[in-house]
Amino acid sequence: MYTSAVIILGVGVTYAAVPLYRMFCAATGFAGTPKVGMGKFEADRLVPVEDTKRIKVHFNADTSDALPWSFIPQQKHVSVLPGETSLAFYKAKNTSNQDIIGIATYNVTPDRVAPYFAKVECFCFEEQKLLAGEEVDMPLLFFIDKDILDDPACRNLDDVVLSYTFFRARRNAQGHLEPDASEATVQASLGFDKFENAPKAENRRKDDKESPVSS
Amino acid sequence: MSFGRPPSISTGFSPTPPDRGSFPLDHFAECREYMKAYLDCLKKSGSNSTPCRHLNKEYLECRMQRGLMDRDDWKNLGLANL
Repeated sequence: MYTSAVIILGVGVTYAAVPLYRMFCAATGFAGTPKVGMGKFEADRLVPVEDTKRIKVHFNADTSDALPWSFIPQQKHVSVLPGETSLAFYKAKNTSNQDIIGIATYNVTPDRVAPYFAKVECFCFEEQKLLAGEEVDMPLLFFIDKDILDDPACRNLDDVVLSYTFFRARRNAQGHLEPDASEATVQASLGFDKFENAPKAENRRKDDKESPVSS
Repeated sequence: MSFGRPPSISTGFSPTPPDRGSFPLDHFAECREYMKAYLDCLKKSGSNSTPCRHLNKEYLECRMQRGLMDRDDWKNLGLANL
Protein backbone atom coordinates (compact mmCIF):
# COMPACT_ATOMS: atom_id res chain seq x y z
CA MET A 1 0.00 0.00 0.00
CA TYR A 2 2.72 2.36 1.10
CA THR A 3 5.12 1.12 -1.58
CA SER A 4 2.52 1.43 -4.34
CA ALA A 5 1.92 5.06 -3.31
CA VAL A 6 5.66 5.70 -3.44
CA ILE A 7 5.89 4.07 -6.88
CA ILE A 8 2.99 6.16 -8.25
CA LEU A 9 4.58 9.31 -6.80
CA GLY A 10 7.89 8.40 -8.41
CA VAL A 11 6.28 7.90 -11.82
CA GLY A 12 4.40 11.19 -11.47
CA VAL A 13 7.60 13.06 -10.66
CA THR A 14 9.35 11.67 -13.74
CA TYR A 15 6.50 12.93 -15.90
CA ALA A 16 6.65 16.33 -14.24
CA ALA A 17 10.42 16.50 -14.66
CA VAL A 18 10.30 17.23 -18.40
CA PRO A 19 8.38 20.53 -18.30
CA LEU A 20 10.09 21.51 -15.06
CA TYR A 21 13.51 20.97 -16.63
CA ARG A 22 12.49 23.04 -19.63
CA MET A 23 11.37 25.88 -17.36
CA PHE A 24 14.63 25.66 -15.42
CA CYS A 25 16.69 25.78 -18.62
CA ALA A 26 14.78 28.73 -20.01
CA ALA A 27 15.19 30.68 -16.78
CA THR A 28 18.88 29.98 -16.25
CA GLY A 29 20.18 29.36 -19.76
CA PHE A 30 21.56 25.99 -18.64
CA ALA A 31 22.79 23.57 -21.34
CA GLY A 32 22.96 26.35 -23.93
CA THR A 33 19.28 27.28 -24.01
CA PRO A 34 19.10 30.68 -25.68
CA LYS A 35 17.86 33.39 -23.34
CA VAL A 36 15.36 35.57 -25.12
CA GLY A 37 13.49 38.55 -23.76
CA MET A 38 15.97 39.43 -21.01
CA GLY A 39 17.25 42.78 -19.81
CA LYS A 40 16.31 45.49 -22.23
CA PHE A 41 14.09 43.16 -24.25
CA GLU A 42 11.70 42.34 -21.41
CA ALA A 43 8.03 42.53 -22.27
CA ASP A 44 7.31 45.59 -20.14
CA ARG A 45 9.99 47.63 -21.91
CA LEU A 46 8.37 47.00 -25.29
CA VAL A 47 5.42 49.29 -24.60
CA PRO A 48 5.12 52.50 -26.62
CA VAL A 49 5.34 55.75 -24.64
CA GLU A 50 2.36 57.80 -25.83
CA ASP A 51 2.40 61.57 -26.33
CA THR A 52 6.12 61.90 -26.91
CA LYS A 53 7.94 63.29 -29.89
CA ARG A 54 8.30 60.80 -32.71
CA ILE A 55 11.71 59.77 -33.93
CA LYS A 56 12.14 59.33 -37.66
CA VAL A 57 14.28 56.32 -38.54
CA HIS A 58 15.77 56.50 -42.04
CA PHE A 59 16.95 53.37 -43.79
CA ASN A 60 20.10 53.01 -45.82
CA ALA A 61 21.49 50.01 -47.68
CA ASP A 62 24.92 49.34 -49.12
CA THR A 63 26.63 46.41 -50.71
CA SER A 64 30.31 45.72 -51.06
CA ASP A 65 31.69 45.91 -54.60
CA ALA A 66 32.50 42.21 -54.55
CA LEU A 67 28.86 41.27 -53.97
CA PRO A 68 26.63 41.18 -57.11
CA TRP A 69 23.42 41.74 -55.18
CA SER A 70 20.97 44.59 -55.37
CA PHE A 71 20.02 45.52 -51.82
CA ILE A 72 17.53 48.29 -51.13
CA PRO A 73 15.29 49.39 -48.26
CA GLN A 74 11.59 49.06 -49.03
CA GLN A 75 10.59 52.15 -47.07
CA LYS A 76 12.56 55.38 -46.83
CA HIS A 77 11.72 56.11 -43.21
CA VAL A 78 9.40 55.22 -40.32
CA SER A 79 8.38 57.56 -37.50
CA VAL A 80 8.30 55.63 -34.24
CA LEU A 81 7.58 56.36 -30.61
CA PRO A 82 10.12 55.31 -27.96
CA GLY A 83 9.38 51.80 -26.78
CA GLU A 84 7.31 50.97 -29.86
CA THR A 85 8.39 47.89 -31.80
CA SER A 86 8.25 48.36 -35.52
CA LEU A 87 8.90 46.31 -38.63
CA ALA A 88 11.02 47.46 -41.54
CA PHE A 89 11.80 45.67 -44.78
CA TYR A 90 14.76 45.43 -47.10
CA LYS A 91 14.84 43.64 -50.41
CA ALA A 92 17.86 41.76 -51.69
CA LYS A 93 18.28 40.22 -55.12
CA ASN A 94 21.13 38.03 -56.25
CA THR A 95 21.74 39.31 -59.76
CA SER A 96 24.48 36.83 -60.60
CA ASN A 97 24.23 33.24 -61.84
CA GLN A 98 25.80 31.63 -58.76
CA ASP A 99 24.52 30.92 -55.26
CA ILE A 100 26.18 33.38 -52.95
CA ILE A 101 26.33 33.62 -49.18
CA GLY A 102 26.26 37.16 -47.84
CA ILE A 103 26.70 38.55 -44.38
CA ALA A 104 25.43 41.94 -43.26
CA THR A 105 26.67 44.48 -40.76
CA TYR A 106 24.70 47.46 -39.54
CA ASN A 107 25.33 50.86 -38.07
CA VAL A 108 23.17 53.47 -36.37
CA THR A 109 23.92 57.18 -36.49
CA PRO A 110 24.13 59.49 -34.59
CA ASP A 111 26.35 57.67 -32.12
CA ARG A 112 24.44 58.84 -29.07
CA VAL A 113 21.33 56.88 -30.05
CA ALA A 114 23.21 53.58 -30.49
CA PRO A 115 22.75 52.28 -26.91
CA TYR A 116 18.98 52.85 -27.15
CA PHE A 117 18.49 51.32 -30.57
CA ALA A 118 17.62 47.67 -30.06
CA LYS A 119 16.85 45.03 -32.63
CA VAL A 120 14.56 42.22 -31.60
CA GLU A 121 15.15 40.23 -34.78
CA CYS A 122 16.87 41.10 -38.03
CA PHE A 123 19.05 39.61 -40.73
CA CYS A 124 22.49 40.84 -39.76
CA PHE A 125 25.65 39.08 -38.58
CA GLU A 126 24.44 35.68 -39.78
CA GLU A 127 25.01 34.21 -43.19
CA GLN A 128 22.20 34.64 -45.71
CA LYS A 129 22.34 32.47 -48.78
CA LEU A 130 20.62 33.63 -51.93
CA LEU A 131 20.32 31.29 -54.90
CA ALA A 132 21.23 32.58 -58.36
CA GLY A 133 18.64 35.15 -59.42
CA GLU A 134 16.67 34.89 -56.18
CA GLU A 135 14.94 37.90 -54.70
CA VAL A 136 13.91 37.87 -51.07
CA ASP A 137 12.36 40.30 -48.56
CA MET A 138 14.32 40.73 -45.37
CA PRO A 139 12.42 42.01 -42.34
CA LEU A 140 13.76 43.70 -39.28
CA LEU A 141 11.94 44.17 -35.94
CA PHE A 142 13.39 46.99 -33.87
CA PHE A 143 12.54 49.57 -31.24
CA ILE A 144 14.09 52.59 -29.59
CA ASP A 145 14.34 52.05 -25.83
CA LYS A 146 12.21 54.46 -23.82
CA ASP A 147 15.18 55.43 -21.62
CA ILE A 148 16.17 57.71 -24.47
CA LEU A 149 13.63 60.17 -23.03
CA ASP A 150 15.78 60.44 -19.88
CA ASP A 151 19.05 61.05 -21.72
CA PRO A 152 19.82 64.78 -21.94
CA ALA A 153 22.20 64.22 -24.85
CA CYS A 154 19.34 62.84 -26.96
CA ARG A 155 16.86 65.58 -26.15
CA ASN A 156 16.59 67.13 -29.61
CA LEU A 157 17.15 63.96 -31.55
CA ASP A 158 14.68 63.78 -34.44
CA ASP A 159 16.35 61.62 -37.06
CA VAL A 160 18.18 58.35 -36.86
CA VAL A 161 19.84 56.63 -39.80
CA LEU A 162 20.10 52.87 -39.83
CA SER A 163 22.54 51.55 -42.46
CA TYR A 164 23.03 47.96 -43.46
CA THR A 165 25.99 46.82 -45.52
CA PHE A 166 26.03 43.44 -47.19
CA PHE A 167 29.36 41.74 -47.80
CA ARG A 168 30.24 38.50 -49.42
CA ALA A 169 30.97 35.84 -46.80
CA ARG A 170 34.22 33.94 -46.62
CA ARG A 171 35.64 31.53 -44.07
CA ASN A 172 38.53 32.77 -41.99
CA ALA A 173 41.39 30.68 -40.61
CA GLN A 174 39.21 29.57 -37.71
CA GLY A 175 36.50 28.35 -40.08
CA HIS A 176 34.01 31.07 -39.21
CA LEU A 177 32.07 33.03 -41.80
CA GLU A 178 33.09 36.66 -41.91
CA PRO A 179 32.67 39.54 -44.36
CA ASP A 180 34.94 39.26 -47.38
CA ALA A 181 36.43 42.72 -47.17
CA SER A 182 39.37 44.40 -45.51
CA GLU A 183 39.11 44.91 -41.76
CA ALA A 184 39.05 48.68 -42.32
CA THR A 185 36.02 48.45 -44.61
CA VAL A 186 34.13 46.23 -42.19
CA GLN A 187 34.87 48.53 -39.25
CA ALA A 188 33.78 51.51 -41.34
CA SER A 189 30.43 49.82 -42.06
CA LEU A 190 30.00 49.34 -38.30
CA GLY A 191 30.72 53.03 -37.72
CA PHE A 192 34.08 52.52 -36.05
CA ASP A 193 36.28 54.04 -38.75
CA LYS A 194 37.21 56.99 -36.56
CA PHE A 195 38.33 54.82 -33.66
CA GLU A 196 41.59 52.96 -33.24
CA ASN A 197 40.93 49.24 -33.21
CA ALA A 198 43.01 46.69 -31.33
CA PRO A 199 44.10 43.71 -33.44
CA LYS A 200 41.82 40.69 -33.21
CA ALA A 201 42.67 37.99 -30.66
CA GLU A 202 43.69 35.46 -33.30
CA ASN A 203 46.13 37.97 -34.80
CA ARG A 204 47.48 39.12 -31.45
CA ARG A 205 48.75 35.65 -30.56
CA LYS A 206 50.97 35.63 -33.62
CA ASP A 207 52.59 38.89 -32.46
CA ASP A 208 53.21 37.47 -28.98
CA LYS A 209 55.25 34.61 -30.40
CA GLU A 210 57.58 37.09 -32.09
CA SER A 211 58.21 39.23 -29.00
CA PRO A 212 61.12 38.20 -26.75
CA VAL A 213 60.18 36.31 -23.59
CA SER A 214 61.88 37.66 -20.48
CA SER A 215 62.52 35.16 -17.73
CA MET B 1 23.50 44.63 -15.60
CA SER B 2 21.54 47.86 -15.61
CA PHE B 3 20.27 49.28 -18.86
CA GLY B 4 19.53 52.86 -19.84
CA ARG B 5 22.84 54.21 -18.52
CA PRO B 6 24.94 56.64 -20.60
CA PRO B 7 26.86 55.02 -23.46
CA SER B 8 30.15 53.55 -22.45
CA ILE B 9 32.64 51.06 -23.84
CA SER B 10 30.39 48.16 -22.97
CA THR B 11 27.06 49.55 -24.17
CA GLY B 12 27.27 52.14 -26.91
CA PHE B 13 30.52 51.22 -28.53
CA SER B 14 29.86 47.60 -29.33
CA PRO B 15 27.45 46.35 -31.99
CA THR B 16 24.95 44.25 -30.06
CA PRO B 17 23.42 41.23 -31.74
CA PRO B 18 19.65 41.05 -32.14
CA ASP B 19 17.79 39.45 -29.26
CA ARG B 20 16.22 36.67 -31.29
CA GLY B 21 18.88 36.30 -33.92
CA SER B 22 18.07 36.30 -37.56
CA PHE B 23 14.74 35.89 -39.37
CA PRO B 24 14.81 32.79 -41.60
CA LEU B 25 14.66 33.80 -45.24
CA ASP B 26 11.20 33.73 -46.82
CA HIS B 27 12.41 31.99 -49.98
CA PHE B 28 8.93 31.37 -51.37
CA ALA B 29 7.59 34.85 -50.58
CA GLU B 30 4.79 33.31 -48.54
CA CYS B 31 4.23 36.44 -46.46
CA ARG B 32 4.76 39.01 -49.19
CA GLU B 33 1.08 40.06 -49.29
CA TYR B 34 1.16 40.99 -45.61
CA MET B 35 4.37 42.91 -46.18
CA LYS B 36 2.80 44.82 -49.09
CA ALA B 37 -0.24 45.66 -46.96
CA TYR B 38 2.02 47.04 -44.25
CA LEU B 39 4.11 49.10 -46.68
CA ASP B 40 0.99 50.57 -48.31
CA CYS B 41 -0.37 51.51 -44.89
CA LEU B 42 2.94 53.19 -44.04
CA LYS B 43 2.79 55.28 -47.20
CA LYS B 44 -0.80 56.34 -46.48
CA SER B 45 -0.08 57.26 -42.88
CA GLY B 46 2.94 59.37 -43.81
CA SER B 47 5.48 56.91 -42.37
CA ASN B 48 3.75 56.95 -39.02
CA SER B 49 4.21 53.55 -37.44
CA THR B 50 1.34 53.51 -34.93
CA PRO B 51 -1.67 53.11 -37.30
CA CYS B 52 0.04 50.21 -39.05
CA ARG B 53 1.01 48.11 -36.05
CA HIS B 54 -1.86 45.66 -36.49
CA LEU B 55 -0.35 44.83 -39.87
CA ASN B 56 2.97 44.16 -38.14
CA LYS B 57 1.11 41.63 -36.03
CA GLU B 58 -0.44 40.01 -39.13
CA TYR B 59 2.88 39.73 -40.89
CA LEU B 60 4.56 38.11 -37.89
CA GLU B 61 1.54 35.83 -37.44
CA CYS B 62 1.99 34.74 -41.07
CA ARG B 63 5.64 33.95 -40.37
CA MET B 64 4.81 32.01 -37.23
CA GLN B 65 2.18 29.93 -39.02
CA ARG B 66 4.57 28.93 -41.78
CA GLY B 67 7.48 28.08 -39.51
CA LEU B 68 9.47 31.15 -40.47
CA MET B 69 9.59 32.42 -36.90
CA ASP B 70 9.40 30.88 -33.43
CA ARG B 71 5.94 31.28 -31.96
CA ASP B 72 5.92 33.62 -28.98
CA ASP B 73 3.51 35.73 -26.95
CA TRP B 74 2.67 39.09 -28.48
CA LYS B 75 3.67 40.92 -25.33
CA ASN B 76 7.23 39.63 -25.70
CA LEU B 77 7.31 41.23 -29.15
CA GLY B 78 5.74 44.48 -28.01
CA LEU B 79 2.51 43.92 -29.97
CA ALA B 80 0.15 43.12 -27.10
CA ASN B 81 -2.58 45.79 -27.00
CA LEU B 82 -3.63 45.81 -30.65
